[in-house]
Formats: sequence, C-alpha cells, structure tokens
Amino acid sequence: MESFSNTNSSWPNLRGSIATNVFVLVFLRMGLGLIPGITVEAAWTITNLLYYSITFIMFHWVLGVPFALNQGEFEDMTLWEQMDKGEPFTPAKKYLTVIPILLFLISTHYSHYDVPTFGINFIALVIVLIPKFPSMHRVRIFGINQKSNTD
Amino acid sequence: MVVAVNTTFTLAYDVYSNVPGAAVVYKYIRDSHQNDPVRTLLELVFVVVMAWYFFNNKPKAKDEVKLTEKEIQDLCDEWEPEELVPRMTEFQNSDLENMAVIAGAAGTKCKLADGKERLNFASNNFIGVMNSESIKDKAIGALHKYGVGSCGPPGFYGTLDVHMELEQAIARFLGVESSIIYSQGFSTVSSVIPAFSKRSDILVVDDACGMAILKGVELSRSIVKFYRHNDMKDLENVLKKINESTKKKPLTRRFIITEGVFQAHGDMCNLPVIMALKEQYKYRLILEDSLGFGCVGQTGRGTPEHFGIAPADVDIYCATMANSLSSSGGFCAGRKEIVEHQRLSGLAYTFSASLPAILAVSALEALKILEANPNLSVECQQNAMAMREILLKAGIPQIRVADGYQTTPIIHIRLTSRLSTREEEELVLQEVVDQCIRDGVIVSRAKYVEGQELHLPVASVKLMASAGHTRRDSEKAAGIVRDAFRKVLKAHRLA
Repeated sequence: MESFSNTNSSWPNLRGSIATNVFVLVFLRMGLGLIPGITVEAAWTITNLLYYSITFIMFHWVLGVPFALNQGEFEDMTLWEQMDKGEPFTPAKKYLTVIPILLFLISTHYSHYDVPTFGINFIALVIVLIPKFPSMHRVRIFGINQKSNTD
Repeated sequence: MVVAVNTTFTLAYDVYSNVPGAAVVYKYIRDSHQNDPVRTLLELVFVVVMAWYFFNNKPKAKDEVKLTEKEIQDLCDEWEPEELVPRMTEFQNSDLENMAVIAGAAGTKCKLADGKERLNFASNNFIGVMNSESIKDKAIGALHKYGVGSCGPPGFYGTLDVHMELEQAIARFLGVESSIIYSQGFSTVSSVIPAFSKRSDILVVDDACGMAILKGVELSRSIVKFYRHNDMKDLENVLKKINESTKKKPLTRRFIITEGVFQAHGDMCNLPVIMALKEQYKYRLILEDSLGFGCVGQTGRGTPEHFGIAPADVDIYCATMANSLSSSGGFCAGRKEIVEHQRLSGLAYTFSASLPAILAVSALEALKILEANPNLSVECQQNAMAMREILLKAGIPQIRVADGYQTTPIIHIRLTSRLSTREEEELVLQEVVDQCIRDGVIVSRAKYVEGQELHLPVASVKLMASAGHTRRDSEKAAGIVRDAFRKVLKAHRLA
C-alpha cells in the first residue's frame, strides 16, 4: 500500500500519454516538412534530436519534485527513477523505451542518411537509451548530475 | 555438406514465405540497408534491445519461497497474534495502583484523595501561577466570550484575536521579531524540527535530549549526529568531522539542537560555547527551553538570559506554555521568516485545531504576571538553590544531586551505587516518594517511556522548585525528602 502518491511521476501512466507522444511526433515531423527548402533527412534528424533532448531533460536530467513531498524523499532522483517506485519494465517505461527506438528505425527507413547524419542520430539515441536501463537506476556516471550528499 | 546448406536455405525460404508480414520486414531491411551492412547490424541491435525491454517483466525476488496450500493452512493455524497491548509487569501494575490521586484543583498546595493538604513539588509550576485567582477570573471571562474550543486549525477560522495577542506578547517579552503558538507543548519542537530540516540536511543533537526532540529528529529524516551531553569538545569534534566529510559536497541546511535546561539531568546547556561554535561552523541553533522559559535568568527570559545572550540571537527558540505559564500548548519564537515559514510547514500548527481561547488567555495572563513581577523567576531559583543546598549538605553518601547549575528549578536525586536492576532502584525510590507523601510533601519519580529514549536516564526522584512556595516551605520539603531517603536507605541496609 502506498501512504501517498508521487503526483510528479504518475502522469506517464495516464491513459492517452502514448497517444500524446505519437501525436507530438507526427505534428513535429509534419510541421518541419512544411518548411520550404528543408530536406527529408534534416526534418527527420531535427525531429529525432528534439524528441530525444526533450525527453532526456524531462526524464533523466531534472532532479526532484517541484513541490515539497515527504521530507524531500525524491530530491536526488530523476523522473525516470521516481516513476512506478523505481521498478523497471513497467508499461509506461516500456512505451517510453520503445518509442525512441521505433522513431529511429522509421527515420532511417524513410530517409537516406549520409554517414555523419546517421552518426548524430545514432549517438543521440544511445545517450537517451543508456539511463533507461534497469542497471542504471540511481547510477550517476562519473558523478554527472550528482546532487545530494548521501552519508 | 552442400546438401545440408541447401536444405537449410530451402527451409529458411519456406519459413519466410509462410510467416505473414515477412515480406514487409524484408522490404524494410532492403530499403534501410543502403549498401551498408554495419548500419543494418546497428539497427538490428536496437531492435533486439527494444524487444528485450518490451518482453521483459519485473524480476522476481530470488528468495521467494513457494508454499503449498497445506503449508499455508498450517502456518495460518499455528499463528497466534501478538497481544495488542503488552501485558503489564508486576511493577507497572503496582505503580499504577499506588499512584497518588489529586482531589480538586492542583496548585502549590493540593489535596490528595485522603483529603489532607500537602505541599506540591511534583508540578512544573515554576513561577507559582497555577490556578491563581487572576488567571481564573480571566479564564472565566474568556469562557463566556469565546466558548470552549476553536474546532479548527489556525488557517481555517481557528485563529482568534487572543492567539494573535499572545503571539505578540511572547515576541515582545523575549525581544524577538515574531512568535507562533502551537496547541500542544510536546509537538511544538517535534514539528519545528521537520519543518526546517529535510532529508540530507544535517542535525547535530545533544544526546541527553528528551523524547520531543528525538521524535522531531526522527520525523525530519535528516542525517543525525549526536554529541555527548554537554561535552563541548565532542561537539566541536562532531562539527569538524562533518565539515571534512562534506567538503566537496553541496551545501545543506545544518542545525545544532539542544535543550536549554535538560529535563533528564536538571543542568543547563553551555550556551555561550554553542553560540560561538554555531557561528564558527555556520550552523543554526534550535533551543528547546521548556524548563528554562519563565524560571531561568534574572527576569525569566530563559536560558539565553541566564548567559547574557539575547533570545533574538538564538535562531529558533521553542518552549511549552504548560510549565511556567501554567496553561497549555507551546510556542516558537524567532525572526519573522522563521515564524511565517511554520504557518504552512509546521505540521502540528497547520493540521491541529488551535489552542482553546481559554488556555490562550490563561497563558497571556500568566505572562503578564511574570512581566509585572520579574522577581518571580529569581524567587524560584532561590528556592531551588535552598533545596539543593539542604540535599547536598545532607551528608548521605548514597545519593547524588546534580549540582552543576544550582539555579535550575528541576532537581534530580539519584542513588550513587547502582542496584542490580532498574526495577529494584525504582522500587527503593518509590518507597522514598511514598514516605515523602506520608510526611506531607508530594514528589515523584522521574518517569520515562523505556525504549523511546536515546539513553534511558538513571532512575531518580524529581523535585520541582517553585516561586509559589515560601522559602521555609521549600526548605522544609527538602528536609522531608532528605529524611525520607535516610529512613528508606536505612531500612534497605544501603546506608
């Protein structure tokens, strides 16, 4: 039983959050496609990078909760670590892992990346995927983004 | 060999043509391939990762034990629930049965159930205003005007004009910017600590602090370091160690927490040194002065006044109003920001119904009496000194009176040689208490919730000095306690 719920991290479990993700992506890609002079490759790359960087900042960079909760229990945890009480392989975490990979695969399919563009997209995806692995739970590689002093 | 390879290919082709959607996959791979096998391989890795994550489920606990239905049934049958309320020991039972019962109003003198009037040295009535006529009159007036309870937390129509008046009066009395009233004395400091100190903040606490502070410390979930009671060298060591271990880490809030007058020992904290150390190491001080407020210092402004320190220099000053002010509830005084923060973050303030008006008015009246008669505090201290002197000069080597600070109103008398069990000690001391009550003086053993204190203090008989007693009564009472000790110790052949 939970004595309280972490309202900061429960929204990815809401119905419609997958649809919102897909909708945002379609909107982004189509919007970029409407800009005159932009190539297909550039449109896909920008879509990928925007989605990756926004989700990375939201789920893996910002620490804590924006309000006081349980004496600061979550103050050194990312949103990903707060979600579903830190358990891996939950439905929300599954779709949030699958969507960026699918996005990458679709983008390579519909475009003809040259090697540098492919590299940029590839590295961005790897960076986004690393913190999603269960073994990276509460791990700060090289102390990046380390906040509190645990005694 | 060639045949084997060929059959494998044929088999693969058969599978390919029979699996639905295989053609789509093939087309996808062909389109994405773009003559670069490395890219296809990398993409394949992603597909594998994706599939792995998608089809993985929560790992099961390794030590999970599978039980059969029968085993489960057996375990259920065997199970006997632990008693909801633990059975009381013989000692606890006799303790309850022999408890002195006061009939009628309590005061500096009070009647027990047998109808005989005795001197009361068991109440925290330090300035002797408990049940005084002027407070009673004011309380009756408040009862007629405001009724009994407020039935609402201060933020929801629970605040009355008398609460605000009392807050201002306390702030004015102490010479601080502002103060806040809690409706429970015990929960004041237990609420103030977690209001300011959160997880990963650092608390440095005197290890003789009472349960109210310990509960607050526990609730805050902060990092806690204890220093030996009143050992300033140890305190400095602890502060130094914390400094070293957190050198490269981000700054957190840090507090030193101590009682002003210690309830378990009757001595005072070494405030000047603590103030110097807190400045040097950049800590804030939370001072719990429930037993010092009103009865320590020249005019009753508590432990800070005793050491010539302005209460405003203590960052957070808490005390109960149930002791010197003979009312109920507690207050926290300090700078305006500190007080205002608690109006939403002090849980005992936000979520408790406010102090009943009748008690707020009583506290206010007691404070007015204290302000008008600043010598009440000194009288209480003189009585305490006179009592200590008699007990110290009693010439009984088997008892020990804490004499570090002679002026605190709370006097603990302990046995010098420890008996085999605590219960045995308590029984001897209870005999002393009973003897004193027979001789006309109400005293009490110091009682604690065992298992809830950090270090359970040694058993003791507790005397509370009061300005309400005359010097002669105080001396007489001390004499009776001394004689009771002599008699009981002699009976136990401890003398």
